[in-house]
Amino acid sequence: MDRITLKNFRCFHEEQTARLAPLTLLVGENSTGKTSFMSMIRALWDVAYRHEVPDFKEEPYDLGSFDEIVYNLGGKKGKAGTFEAGFDSATRPGRKLRLSKTNTTQAYHFEVAFAKDETVPIPVRRHLAYEKLWIKEFFEPKNRNCQLCVGTERGSWEFQFDLQRYSPLDLTHYRVEPLFYSLMKARDGLVPLNGSKKIVERDLEQLFDLCSESFGIRVEKRPYASAPVRSRPRRTYDPARMSPDPEGEYVPMYLANVYLRHKEIWGSLKNKLENFGKASGLFDEISILPLGKIDSGPFQIRVRKSGGRRKGLWRNLVDVGYGVSQVLPVITELFRQDTAPLVLLQQPEVHLHPSAQAALGSLFCQTAAQGSQLIIETHSDYILDRVRMDVRDGSVPLKPDDVSILFFERRAQDVCIHSLRLDKEGNILGDVPPNYRNFFMQETQRSLGL
Amino acid sequence: MGSILDRNVAPEVFGPDRTEAGKKFFDWINAGAGRLVVGGKLIKELASTKAGEWVKQAILSKRVKILDKAKVNTSVNKLQDEGGFKSDDPHIVALAQVSGARLLYSNDKKLQQDFKNKKLIDQPRGKVYSTISGGGKFEDSHKRLLRLKKKDLCGVPQ
Repeated sequence: MDRITLKNFRCFHEEQTARLAPLTLLVGENSTGKTSFMSMIRALWDVAYRHEVPDFKEEPYDLGSFDEIVYNLGGKKGKAGTFEAGFDSATRPGRKLRLSKTNTTQAYHFEVAFAKDETVPIPVRRHLAYEKLWIKEFFEPKNRNCQLCVGTERGSWEFQFDLQRYSPLDLTHYRVEPLFYSLMKARDGLVPLNGSKKIVERDLEQLFDLCSESFGIRVEKRPYASAPVRSRPRRTYDPARMSPDPEGEYVPMYLANVYLRHKEIWGSLKNKLENFGKASGLFDEISILPLGKIDSGPFQIRVRKSGGRRKGLWRNLVDVGYGVSQVLPVITELFRQDTAPLVLLQQPEVHLHPSAQAALGSLFCQTAAQGSQLIIETHSDYILDRVRMDVRDGSVPLKPDDVSILFFERRAQDVCIHSLRLDKEGNILGDVPPNYRNFFMQETQRSLGL
Repeated sequence: MGSILDRNVAPEVFGPDRTEAGKKFFDWINAGAGRLVVGGKLIKELASTKAGEWVKQAILSKRVKILDKAKVNTSVNKLQDEGGFKSDDPHIVALAQVSGARLLYSNDKKLQQDFKNKKLIDQPRGKVYSTISGGGKFEDSHKRLLRLKKKDLCGVPQ
């Protein structure tokens, strides 16, 4: 995703536009909508690529019901009737990210509006566009009416669906099924709009192309969304499920599974974990200790930190600083061979010493350069500054345009998103509001006695 | 608006015994009204003073602009090849040439002469903020300089 738009969503009233890059850092005070922003990115992915009605209560983002999600206009105006969001993307899921300096391609634009259905938000309008091609689908839940409008450079056409025979549950699925299917059903009955000529095969071919691939079939992969707190370490782990969860509960089992069953992958993963451990000062070595004779038995995770020429003792994860167990899920997720195409991290710096926070900044640059898109909410200046310096110094293959800094600024009851960029000297560019980082400047001033 | 701070007056702006004129200059750059430009040798010089910590924070806060080291060095080399300057601070003149910054805070007389030399810095001409004569007081001349408009303080990079 290259650009996100939001309107009437949580604390975002007026339409907000935010530039996303391979590495995007979300900064700003508490309660300025950063987590809501991340939840909408996952929701957009679910609607656009997985054709699912997004669950706005799914962990790690519990935004509540429709009434808690839609913007409150205040006073007699009450709440907005719908909230909207969209994104532009020049790439499709599963493909390598387009880093800067490669050929720029025209972006796809996808947009969705949500309205209230009982207590939850449901999509009532979808819009997909590419250059002069577009498809819009409108639902009227009360009248069980659905309208499909399409357009090419030759004209525009519409089709009315009769949804009377659908049950409410079927309707829920119907409203997010791939636009490709809607077009299939409508193709023979499209009626010209605004004096357009009759639709021809060439128009249909272009429109089918538009909504094929990711917008036409279900993409299995989802963004990985981590919680701001990770699961507590345990002295001994019992084999458990391995499906990714926001708190990284699955990570010990994942590591043990790779250690026991995929030795060649373990070698590479262990090497990467240890390289980060050394760069961050957290540990030098990591190992899995099976406690039973069978490979499905309990196990422990141990780390070792050496001092000078002497190797240190192996220590259980619970016997070392909390930072190790808290960062392990984050780095494991980034080092996985099958890591998600889009990773959403909340405050990965918690419990980490500044040197480890800075090392995380470098790791984020490296991961983004390898093709995953990272969107990271952080309060850490050490991460921000390390990213800035690594990009400036060319120590990672990321260019300044591959980094976006989104500053969330509270303005009375609303929040405004400012998209900032870096230049090759490491300067911050973009629409910086006057109060940007005022707190930091004031603290520095006070610290220097100025 | 572009401005340059010479190392020799950094204590007046960031030191424990700041002058009135230094304090006003600090308020001006700290508020983002006058964006300080740094680069090349001047970064090292300022980093060794109390200004260093502020500069680091101000870079992240878009109150200081770092210039392209290569461009500054090229400009310094060109100046040294061509001569025509009196001070031993060609890197400061180069900063103005590369960035377009036209206000210099310095008490170095030779550097002041260089900064006002039309052959070295022009369109618009360089202006100097100095406390040599007033003993650190914030005078009308200072006030006028800090009130100048963007077009008077930001020139086209040469």
